Amino acid sequence: MDPIHQFNIEKIFTIGHIGGQEIAFTNSSAYMLLAVVLTSLLMLATGRKLVPGRMQSIAEISYEFVADTIRTTAGKDGMKFFPFVFSIFMLVTVSNLVGIIPYTFTISSHIIVTAALAFLVFFTVLIYGFYRNGLRFFKLFVPSGIPVVILPLVVAIEVISFLSRPVSHSVRLFANMLAGHITLKVFASFVTMLGAMGIVGVFGAVLPLALVVALTALELLVAFLQAYVFTILTCIYINDAIHPGH
Amino acid sequence: MARGFRLSSELIAGVAVGAVIGWGFDRLLSTSPWGLIVFFLLGFVAGVINVMRSAGVIPEQTDR
Repeated sequence: MDPIHQFNIEKIFTIGHIGGQEIAFTNSSAYMLLAVVLTSLLMLATGRKLVPGRMQSIAEISYEFVADTIRTTAGKDGMKFFPFVFSIFMLVTVSNLVGIIPYTFTISSHIIVTAALAFLVFFTVLIYGFYRNGLRFFKLFVPSGIPVVILPLVVAIEVISFLSRPVSHSVRLFANMLAGHITLKVFASFVTMLGAMGIVGVFGAVLPLALVVALTALELLVAFLQAYVFTILTCIYINDAIHPGH
Repeated sequence: MARGFRLSSELIAGVAVGAVIGWGFDRLLSTSPWGLIVFFLLGFVAGVINVMRSAGVIPEQTDR
């Protein structure tokens, strides 16, 4: 009944060695693969009918949803990044939703996974920003209409603010998933603890049980919401790469 | 809870990145502790700006 036990990484089999470092296929990799497989099934195997069925509707809605998000935050040019943003959104959403099911593993509850995604976005923005705008990309750090005297200070603050993006971007998703799953586990263990205390305990256990049900619903919302927040921040950062300062 | 996490992670990220930059600055130029002090405070300011931006108090895209 250790609430942290659900985050253990277990090796399933070893793929090979790179420079003496073991490259293992872990339960985390298995759930990443599961998310990819589920997304592929949703997008490929649900048919192309004119009147969509239930699963095809989900596939179409998720496409429209991400496309709308990109168009409203990053404009028409942002659609170039649709495959990238859609992959991130589907990976995070599907793996978060799978993670709600008891006995499964939530890949975004490990900061290395969310940090890898956040740095992927960060370096995409940096590289594409310089590729597209050249040195004009630095205008991102220089707000116009600022007196020259305090300009160095403002630029330093803007640079730190820019560099802190991947940190907050990754910590937000990670902390939400970690905290939510630990809360669920703690309240669920209250149920078993109270249930072992005789007849009074069984009646007392109804309260945490009801709370676990409610928290599971809340976690379902958080799982989707955090995936959406991660996606919309990705779009906002990509918008900075496309239009650094108007 | 989600909103609290969002805002606190913004502030912490700003302060942490500022502190790391200051620490690295000190290590490279051996100006300890001035780099840490200055960049820690700048990081705090950047964190507050991040929080205000994500809370919508000031616009995301300032007029540049």
